[in-house]
Amino acid sequence: MTLYVGVALVTAAVVLFLLHPVIQGIHASLEREDDELTETEARKRVALLALRDVEYDFLAGKLDEDDYRTMKAKLTAEALDALAADEAAKGAGSHTGTAAIEAEIAAIRQGIQVGVLCHDCGYNNPVGSRFCSACGRSVAEPVPS
Amino acid sequence: MTLLGEFALWIALPVTAWGMILGYVGGRTQRGDLVLSAERSIYASFGLLTIASIGVTAAFLNDRFDYWYVSNYSNANLEFFYKVTGLWAGQRGSLLFWATLLGFFAVICALTNRQKNREFMPYVVGVLQTILFFFVVVLLFANVNPFERLVVNGMPMTPADGRGLNPQLQSYWMTIHPPTLYLGFTSFSIPFAFAVAALLNGRLDARWIQLTRRWILTSWFFLSVGIVMGMRWAYEELGWGGYWFWDPVENASLLPWLTATAFLHSIQIQENRGMLKVWNMSLVLMTFLLTVFATFLTRSGLIESVHSFAQNLAIAYIFLGFMAAVLAICTVLIVYRLPQLRSENQIESFLSRESAFLFNNLMLLGAAFTVMWGTMFPLISEAVTGQQISVGPPFFNRVNLPIGLILLALVGIGPVIAWRRATKKNLQKNFQIPVGVMIGTGVVLWILGARHPLALVTWSLSAFVLTIITTEFYKGTRARARIEGEGYALAFIHLITRNRRRWGGYIVHIGFVSLCVAFAGAAYNTDARFNVQPGDRVEVTSPYGHTYELTYDGLSISRGMGQRNLIWQAIATVSVSRNGKPLGIMTTEKRQYTNRGTQPMTEVAINSNLQEDLYLILSALNDIQGALAADSDAQGIDLQVLVKPLVIWIWIGCLLLAIGTIIALWPNVDRRRSSGVEPAVEPALAGAD
Repeated sequence: MTLYVGVALVTAAVVLFLLHPVIQGIHASLEREDDELTETEARKRVALLALRDVEYDFLAGKLDEDDYRTMKAKLTAEALDALAADEAAKGAGSHTGTAAIEAEIAAIRQGIQVGVLCHDCGYNNPVGSRFCSACGRSVAEPVPS
Repeated sequence: MTLLGEFALWIALPVTAWGMILGYVGGRTQRGDLVLSAERSIYASFGLLTIASIGVTAAFLNDRFDYWYVSNYSNANLEFFYKVTGLWAGQRGSLLFWATLLGFFAVICALTNRQKNREFMPYVVGVLQTILFFFVVVLLFANVNPFERLVVNGMPMTPADGRGLNPQLQSYWMTIHPPTLYLGFTSFSIPFAFAVAALLNGRLDARWIQLTRRWILTSWFFLSVGIVMGMRWAYEELGWGGYWFWDPVENASLLPWLTATAFLHSIQIQENRGMLKVWNMSLVLMTFLLTVFATFLTRSGLIESVHSFAQNLAIAYIFLGFMAAVLAICTVLIVYRLPQLRSENQIESFLSRESAFLFNNLMLLGAAFTVMWGTMFPLISEAVTGQQISVGPPFFNRVNLPIGLILLALVGIGPVIAWRRATKKNLQKNFQIPVGVMIGTGVVLWILGARHPLALVTWSLSAFVLTIITTEFYKGTRARARIEGEGYALAFIHLITRNRRRWGGYIVHIGFVSLCVAFAGAAYNTDARFNVQPGDRVEVTSPYGHTYELTYDGLSISRGMGQRNLIWQAIATVSVSRNGKPLGIMTTEKRQYTNRGTQPMTEVAINSNLQEDLYLILSALNDIQGALAADSDAQGIDLQVLVKPLVIWIWIGCLLLAIGTIIALWPNVDRRRSSGVEPAVEPALAGAD
């Protein structure tokens, strides 16, 4: 007898638990969350990551100076493209104008020549970086716009 | 409780079916209420499967021999501990246990993703419930229900006692080895579910990989540790001095490990370079299928093996059908999504880390293929010639040794070679010292008397790899120490914690080197057999040159009176000294258990140090009856003495493997979050190398 009561209780509990959202119309979210990277952000990240790899490999003596230069130039161009695309995508939603983006890209382009010191390890990073190529710590400063 | 468990298993059938259907339908129609209900079905299924598992355990603890499963795997005298673990002692309970563990991981997955990754979750739930549904169907309808009553000649029967547990399984390693492996098998379902969800919802960037990276590592961790535990069990319990025999079930657990290892490496190419998307999808599918295949092979008894249980063809067909269906559906999905799975980049140079990774993948897959072929060969030969012909360890060794050596070399080459493009000049510069150390090691070992070619190659390569990894650690630590002004110890710790994935990976690689060094030691195993009488003294020379003197002190007999299922126990005592210096006393035993009319079991004695293991086996008693009657003339025994160099480095290697994986798994504590810097970048950076 106890067994049948137990079985009945378990079954009833399970059925109620499963049907409750459908009957009451409780919806689980199916949306992509806000803090997730967008496609352009992801592209930007990959591009910056590649730059960091090249820096690291050069620093560790795994890359030749010539190769380092050619690859860095190429990857920097890619990274800038990605940055521009990301800014353009964001700009569509926010109020940043094209001029502002141009200015930012110019700043980054200039910064790559000038470089930014990692406040952690002192390594000279391109301004576009959000992290230090040498120690991996974040060097991201709010980019002036 | 047991009856309630049985009902719970039946209720789990519609619940898993409900979750499966609602997951897919909810995802397709984007109806949040259906998805929520499907997610709840995960919790419900896990609860029901847990009740069922407790039901089986209760049947064991209450000696319910009216159940087929309990009567075949337990008896009244079995130790409490082994009754509790009876759930995974045999096929039927194991399948339920598998499903329960998967339910557990599914619950963790559902709980941690209540607020995130919502676009994946409907299909993830659908896939997980499909797998669970399949296992519940197998349990209920494939003649493997653990709740089935014992029926003899059509009549229900309750025997006075059970048949007992196979004495070989009465070892603590055996109680933790299967669950550990099962944790590895089942947790791999989660990355698989995410991969299928990505195929279904069309989100085919590296997102599903980033989301499941921890799951993949967790699964890999349990697989690795589980496999080594199985080796340990074989080494201590089977009593023949080996740890790996290329047994079908060992192979079955190795297969998903090989593909999962390949996957762990190739996902880095997708994350870094946007390449190999189809390949990664195929690897995750393959690994999942192989975990199911391993479960199937262990539990079908299709191929003769030390582990296999009763032959059951019904379950074989159901498993094969399920695997074929999964393979077919996933292949169709991958083909359908091919346009979105195109590579974003191409390999720029043959000399690059990408191509090293690719080569590593080819080797691992090659190994997996040969192991698969060798394992299935008995079945293939039976189909063709009508006879089961098995290929022995020589086949596996011949193919896998070269592959292993190439992989070992790649472990060294990988870290030094740059992404995208490396130049010869650089490689030469970076490889000078390691290659020098490699050759030096080979020469020194040769001078010291090591002549076995494969062992020499393995050890020299290991020296090469260790030099490279040590150099990486040294360079990194030195740079940090210099730049930060930290002490070397602190700099070393910071180095690891700042990029756990990279340095954890290196530690895993050191563990792998340790394993290779130990395996090569087997080339110098010595094996001596003596027939000795009490007081006899024998000598054995170790490959290192020192001598063990062993004095057989005598035999002591104890009668078990049925406790712990022991009838009698014959313990041989041997005093051991090394080059005249006493090491102590070692005891090796023969045990006769009551159940199953088995042969007497051997308990070996192992004296282990960093150099080698001294391994004693009481092979046979000259006169069992005489010895049992305490006849002083019947004390002679066959004593087998093995010296096994470097075995301990297998267990040390496994420990390093585990430590490295845990370091790589450890969540990143983001200290920059508070300083207002975007935290999303950090996890990706951690994996940059």
